Parts: sequence; structure tokens; C-alpha cells
Amino acid sequence: MHLEPFELHRPTSVEEAAGLARTHAGRCDFLAGGTDLLPNYKMHINLRPHLISLDRVGEMTHREGGRVGAMTRLAELERDAAFARDYPGVAEAARQVATPLVRASATVGGNLLVETRCFFFNQSQFWRASLGFCLKADGDRCHVVPQKAVCYATFSGDLAPALMVVGAEVEVAGPDGRRRFPVGALYDAAGDGIRRVTLAPGEVVVAVHLPAEARGRPSGYAKLRARPSFDFPELGVAVALSRDGDRLAALRVATGGLEPHPREFDAITARYVGEPLSPERLDALAAEVQAAVRPVHNTAYPPDYRKRMTGVFVRRTVERLWSGGTAA
Amino acid sequence: MTSQPILRLRINGQPVETPAPPERILLDLLREDLRLTGTKRGCDLGTCGCCTVLLDGRPTLSCLTLAHLAEGREITTIEGVSTGTALHPVQRAFVDLGATQCGFCTPGFVLTAVALLRERPRPTRDQVVEAIAGNLCRCTGYTKIIEAIEAAARAAPG
Repeated sequence: MHLEPFELHRPTSVEEAAGLARTHAGRCDFLAGGTDLLPNYKMHINLRPHLISLDRVGEMTHREGGRVGAMTRLAELERDAAFARDYPGVAEAARQVATPLVRASATVGGNLLVETRCFFFNQSQFWRASLGFCLKADGDRCHVVPQKAVCYATFSGDLAPALMVVGAEVEVAGPDGRRRFPVGALYDAAGDGIRRVTLAPGEVVVAVHLPAEARGRPSGYAKLRARPSFDFPELGVAVALSRDGDRLAALRVATGGLEPHPREFDAITARYVGEPLSPERLDALAAEVQAAVRPVHNTAYPPDYRKRMTGVFVRRTVERLWSGGTAA
Repeated sequence: MTSQPILRLRINGQPVETPAPPERILLDLLREDLRLTGTKRGCDLGTCGCCTVLLDGRPTLSCLTLAHLAEGREITTIEGVSTGTALHPVQRAFVDLGATQCGFCTPGFVLTAVALLRERPRPTRDQVVEAIAGNLCRCTGYTKIIEAIEAAARAAPG
């Protein structure tokens, strides 16, 4: 499949990249690893006439301490034993993204901003034209929930939930300078599903910051998918916790692969902190998170199964970290 | 027709100059412009690994790489793996152990294995299995392929 023509820009600084994005707002995409964008372009999904490659932006490939440049390849993260000791859940999530071949190109920033996925969206132009285009690309109706003008395509990144539970932040550069905010705030939970993130036109994700105080804290990521060697998540559960004797001193849980954006459950987990973690309490926690998630029928597995497996994965992952288990 | 930018690449140790528009995919450039057809087009979407080449020694999906982004990097295709008529030890092991049937996926597997053995000369079976997770074979199955990579590792000096 050949790509349609576009103008390729290769800025060498963050400011130049952000300036290009502002100039071509609404008519451009950033190109990071290309492992998600280029398949979509080959299927004629949401083509843009300008592509801004970030491969020459040195600041974005740089990694130092807890600051991970957005263009850091996932393969680089997974090869770093020190990183895996410091942030085991993030490393575990990175290792479970697609295949080693994809991870050689795929980037941290790209995985955070990966396009949401849907059975009716990730198809060839011919396939989509046959059924009628959907509102996420070229059409005006949702084939999953036709009565609503909202896109329910599923957030399919693995890193975001793992970063959220260790309190990571994203660093963004744009027309008004730089700002930092928690990873969870990158996603537009109240939006229409088409505008997936809270970035303003011209803003670019430069780096992720991992907090020093979370270093070495038990964290993990469990992923449900049809082929463990390749697929996007049908469900991803990230957990970070610390224990004080028999009591939970801290607990955070986040999910991906279920809804249009990753989700945190701080209101639920707060009720379990400071208490002993009995089997009954663990069951109750798993049931509460399971009840809160709302998958729809737009991926390979039925939503009821993904919902029930959410409880199973929360229970398993918390149990593993509580008992001192290492990454799977 | 407007003139296309000239791309300066280094492929299998040789400098190559060829015109290529910005949207040219590396796989298409190798196969269609340079006639290096050892690199195969399978799914064309990054799923099957048939198009694997080495970029600066690391296995990379050429179907998801813009040719312009490979400028200044060392590209190795299956045509650059053997030395004259002497097969690379990985290729030799694939032949000796019958690790190939229709052969379509073989260039991708060989390049992935070559890179693996450079990084880990004595990989465990789990490391071999993990390394080839992105290369799909639809006829031989994986047992002989894994055994061939292990045999190539054993055959290497040191």
C-alpha cells in the first residue's frame, strides 16, 4: 500500500515542532514511531497533508533520571534493567506493547497518544465505505452506539495506566510555553471521543516525568489480549501500592483498553488505604472497579467478558504486588 | 511532474542515491525502486515481520518506515547478509534444519535472528522465542525455526 502524498517536516527543536503544528493546525499529524499512524494512513484513515516527524528533535529522544523524552523507543525502556527496578509496572507495560519489532520503533509519546481503536474504524477504506463511514472518520454516525453522536472507540495504549498509578506527569510545549500536569489529565474524559486529548492546537508532548518518590514502589501491569505476542489491550490493569505491615499504606489502580480514555479509581482505592487487605476486602475492591468500568462492543472480546476480567485482573495484580511478587 | 528529492542511503554497505517523494515507504523503495526483492511485503501493516530489515543493526519493520527517515543510517537487507556465495551461519542453519517451507517469511526471520545473535551470542530458548514474536510463519511452524537459530548460535565460534 502506497501512502498518499504529504509534506514531510523534520524540525530539530521542540519550539520548531510546536510552531509547525500551530501553522498547520488541523491539517497535520506528528510522526513519532509511526507504528500506529502509518497503518492508519495506509488504510486512508484521517489523512493530513502535513506530517511533522519528531525524529530529529534531540531533546525528545533524551532520557535522564526520571525524565523520559517522548521519542524514547519502547525497546530502549525494556532493555534498561535499572528503569525496570525503579518503575516495574511501567517496564512491564512497555514489554507488553505489540512485538519486539514494533517496540523497536514505537515511542513513549506515541503510546500515550495512540489513536483510539474500534472494530468499525480500524478497517480499510473499502471495508468502511461498504458499511458507511463512522463519525470518527469521514462519516456522521456511530455504528457501536448509533443513538449517540459520541465516539466510543477504545483507548488502547498500555503505558498510560502504568504511568498514572505511579503519579507520572507529562511535559507539554506549545504557543504559551511549557506546562506539566498528571498523565491522566492528558485525556479528555468529558469530550466527544473524537477530540481525545486536552492538548491545544500546536501543543506537543515533550517528555514524561516519573516522580523520584515512586522509585522502587511495587507496581505492575496486567494485559488481556487475544494473542499475548502482539495485540492491543482488550483490558489493561495497572496497580501501584505500598504496604505498612498488614495494612495498605497506598494504593492506586488505573485501567485502559475498556473505554475511550484510561481511568483512575482514586475515589474507590482511597477507602482501602490504611486498612488491612483481607481476602474479603480484596474481593470488594475488585468488584467495585469492575462495576465502575463501561466497555462497549467494539473490540474482539465481548464487553461483558472484558468487564468481568477487570475484576479478575485487579484482584490478581493487587495480590501479586501485596505478596511481593515480581513482574510477570 | 515535480522533481523528487534525492535520497542518499547506505544499503548493505554501499552508498545509494535514488529519487523518492516524502511519502515513500522504505519497503516500497527497496522492492520497487531498487529491485531488492528479498525483502517481502506481507501484511504491509507491521503485523507479520516479513519486511524486516536491519537499521543500524536493529530489526525494523520497513513497511512502517518512511524512506527519508532512514537517511544516514546503515540499512541491511537479506541481500547483504551472506558473504559472496557463502551463506550466513543463520541461513546455513535454516537450510540444514529445514526451517523454511514456502520461504516467504524467511528473510525476516533470518534478519531478526542475525540481530539477536549479535546482541546475545548464546540466547536462551525463551529469548529466541521472544525475539521472533513479531515474525509470523504460516507453513513451517516455529519449532524448526527456533532450533535453527539455536544451532546457528552453537555453530558460532566462542
